[in-house]
Amino acid sequence: MNPEQMTRQIALIEAILFVSKEPVEPGRIMEFLGIKDIEEFEKVLTTMEKEYLQERAERGLLLKRTGGGLQLVTKPDLYDELKAFFTIKQSTKLTIASLETLSIISYRQPATLAEISDMRGVNSTGPVKNLLQKKLIKITGRKKVPGLPALYATTQEFLVYFGLNDLSQLPSLEELTELFEEKEQPSLFK
Amino acid sequence: MIEAEFAGYQVQTEFFEGPLDLLLHLIRKNKMNIVEVRLSQITAEYLSYLESKKGINPSRESEFLMTAATLIYIKSRSLLPKPENPAEESPEKQLIHTLIEYEKIQKISRMLQDMEYTELLLWRRLEIDENFTNREYALKEVSAFQLAEIFFDIVKKKENQQFLYISSKNYSIAEKQDEILSLLESAGFLDFSEFVSKLDSIEEIVVSFFTLLEMIKRHLLVAVQEQLFGTISIYKNEAGKLDN
Repeated sequence: MNPEQMTRQIALIEAILFVSKEPVEPGRIMEFLGIKDIEEFEKVLTTMEKEYLQERAERGLLLKRTGGGLQLVTKPDLYDELKAFFTIKQSTKLTIASLETLSIISYRQPATLAEISDMRGVNSTGPVKNLLQKKLIKITGRKKVPGLPALYATTQEFLVYFGLNDLSQLPSLEELTELFEEKEQPSLFK
Repeated sequence: MIEAEFAGYQVQTEFFEGPLDLLLHLIRKNKMNIVEVRLSQITAEYLSYLESKKGINPSRESEFLMTAATLIYIKSRSLLPKPENPAEESPEKQLIHTLIEYEKIQKISRMLQDMEYTELLLWRRLEIDENFTNREYALKEVSAFQLAEIFFDIVKKKENQQFLYISSKNYSIAEKQDEILSLLESAGFLDFSEFVSKLDSIEEIVVSFFTLLEMIKRHLLVAVQEQLFGTISIYKNEAGKLDN
């Protein structure tokens, strides 16, 4: 691919992402641009990402890989000004109860309501409903036990919401323990 | 400004997510190691927390009471000499195991909260409502399981109905598809429950449902739920038409 072609393709990708409401599957763009080789496409994307971060660092947008798709998002340091412009008082955040419920579902999926409530030690109907409503979890089937309880799993929106490209980006439980041990270590020597 | 809005994972002293949260708090406060903790030692503290709460709402706080009962049972067991049955898992071991698992959940929650914080600093399209006052993540397309749930509800209702005649008509998916498309052409959208409940027989409902699923799968239609537990509407997928 010569540099001119590359510039043209980057322009097209940018335009497609600008118009799209939701993350766009890379496969769709590849097919459309007639790129067969994934490495070649990867090269276009890295060039594009680098442009956003270096040559256009003072501009307002970023290319983000999220939920298995590509999306244009605003830069984090513009947060306060954007909030003021749109006169938004508060960004809706998840409650601790919802976060705990999501933690269980994301690591044990699919999980039933009874399993979630058991692990949290409290009835979790409320947070499960809330997460269903936000489309961060979905019902993927029924467990073959008496009562056929619904099985819950995370959604693509879950990935986008937490900035993950796919579930494998979540640290394993072992890594997580290490992560927190490192953080908590200094306090031992106080 | 941002810091004030997104204060980190808060371990509040007066509010606990549940009995496990309270127990972990007491274990940390007493600088105990969770693996070697003697639960009987913190039972008194646990109970005094419950006492300090003015009036317990049994429906909301029954879990706290249940764990209190378990703690007292554990303590009474430790006071009474009893030959240990190694095959039987002691209630203390069980509770500690649950606590260890719950501690992991808290860690994951803290990690997710950090990720949420990082992501909330980025703005995407269509997160803002028309009034520019709310920023919330919401998508409305429904899953096949939500459709299926409504479908089974309707089939159940239909099963109890007496049909006046036995229909020997054969239904085909192709015919149904044309029928649905022409209905959409004239009405713009279909109310899923209404559409299915108007059909004559179980066979027709089943064929119609399969047709809908097939058409949604082929991106000819989209199923949208305006609000949780609300009715589901079927629309033609104009963008999908191009793909097919």
